[in-house]
Amino acid sequence: MSSLRTCARAAIRIQKLTSVIYTGERGIKRWVAPTLRVINKRKAKLGPQPEPRRSNFLDWNYNAEIFAFNKRLSENFDVELLQQAFTHRSYVAQEEQKQREVGIENPELSIKDNTDLIVEGKCLTSEIVERYLRQALPRLPEEGILKLKDYLLSEEIVAKVSVQIGTKDIILSEDHPVRQETLVNTFFALVAALARSNDVVHTSFFVRDFLIATLSDKEILSIWTPSHPFQTLDAILNREKRGSADFRLTAQTGVNTILAAYQVAVYSDQQFLGIGTGETVQVAKNIAALDALQRMFGIADFSRPIPFNLTVDVSSQRTENLPLTKWCTENLKHTVGG
Amino acid sequence: MGNVSSKNFVPRSRKFVRRNQKSFFQHKHDRKYLTSIMSAVKRAQQWATFARTWHLFDATWQNPFDSAQVIIKHLMGLHKPIYHPMNDCGDHVVVMNSRDIALPGDEWRKRVYFHHTTYPGGASWTLAWELHNKNPTLVIKKAVYNGMDGNLQRRHTMQRLHVFPDDKIPEEILKNISNQIRYLRPVPTRLDHISPEEVENYPKIVDYPKQYILR
Repeated sequence: MSSLRTCARAAIRIQKLTSVIYTGERGIKRWVAPTLRVINKRKAKLGPQPEPRRSNFLDWNYNAEIFAFNKRLSENFDVELLQQAFTHRSYVAQEEQKQREVGIENPELSIKDNTDLIVEGKCLTSEIVERYLRQALPRLPEEGILKLKDYLLSEEIVAKVSVQIGTKDIILSEDHPVRQETLVNTFFALVAALARSNDVVHTSFFVRDFLIATLSDKEILSIWTPSHPFQTLDAILNREKRGSADFRLTAQTGVNTILAAYQVAVYSDQQFLGIGTGETVQVAKNIAALDALQRMFGIADFSRPIPFNLTVDVSSQRTENLPLTKWCTENLKHTVGG
Repeated sequence: MGNVSSKNFVPRSRKFVRRNQKSFFQHKHDRKYLTSIMSAVKRAQQWATFARTWHLFDATWQNPFDSAQVIIKHLMGLHKPIYHPMNDCGDHVVVMNSRDIALPGDEWRKRVYFHHTTYPGGASWTLAWELHNKNPTLVIKKAVYNGMDGNLQRRHTMQRLHVFPDDKIPEEILKNISNQIRYLRPVPTRLDHISPEEVENYPKIVDYPKQYILR
């Protein structure tokens, strides 16, 4: 029985082998290597070539791309608005120039560009991001919220998001390869187009899922760090009417080596606040103060991760987070509770 | 808006273009934000993770071959969760009182250390007690060295082992130490180390008669 089974297995395997590996050639032909050599030589002689434009390929179908973009993101863009969001002013100007060269004095094109969408989308995105961050990180001081917002709206991040949702090839713009600025503007235009097609709440989901969610693997302290941790910690403890920060050396090793490590912990009224390590006591103290602050602000490694399932209400009244100069647990209760 | 690209176009000399051709055509972006920047707290965490701890091991009355296994574990960093053969995470071990090690059974007389000078007739066999008399640190050093796999890392790992025959450890090394490795077996108390008064006053089952002669 088992021999039968092995036979059957072998037969299946052989079938597979013949179908996959058999190509009808015994080896690599003698002409392949010299031909490749010549091709490479000619390529090197030509020098670096500009990146080919995907839209110049024969199989390019703009309408299909637009349709696919809409479906891929499971969004419900109005197709006309979507096309407008992808059309930049520079493209329209280029088209007009082409007509003038042909001899048309007053070229009249029925193409709408995204100039006003960009302006609208930029404001809306900024508003959504700011409100979302305040809601998701209620303990983070206002300075941190603004820095995080600047980071999320920086050209590099938005351009990356824009590329990753697949705008690069569909953008109608004069510049090629598409510049970062164009990518960013396209993203903002898309946000505005979505707001016009659907509503603001739905747009906030779009911004949340594609832009704000990039924060998930980031360390917040690497984007924003309080500039004077000692003074800040002391001021906060003072406002909370607790004892001043007490730094204690908890461990040290290899003191006489270049790999010396000191561990310093901060306490206030015998209560542990934070711990830090460094190559000198001063560095370790600094880190301990920073650690205490990040525990207070709820942005430490072990704190609850930033929620990415909140809904922001853009129409509601603006409530800012506490600034560093007013931050204390008592004030926080008033703000978050009220 | 029509002259967006012409506004940003800066004429470059031919030489400049050639030198920067690659980056010019690949359109590299400024990666200021995209490359992850480590925060000060993360850097400190890294420093703490890879800090080399200095352990102290007292070899008094310890079997050097059993002790070697424990010392190797610390020297190579095998006790750390970050251990990997290609990760440099070993600690330092300072061994004191290596003169007072205890070999099991008749190992002092039977254990032989072989050496060859590579010249004809250059072989020599040294008994453990002879070697220990010549250099009281060598038995434990060799036990640790032979306890590890023979690879390129072994000699570097050995550099982190510091053996002293007695308790006279240099001050600068003593300051580095922050941990003590627990002994493998308790040090027994010898009768001749106990004071005569204490022996005299110790409760006894039988009192010998005064005339009884002890031999």
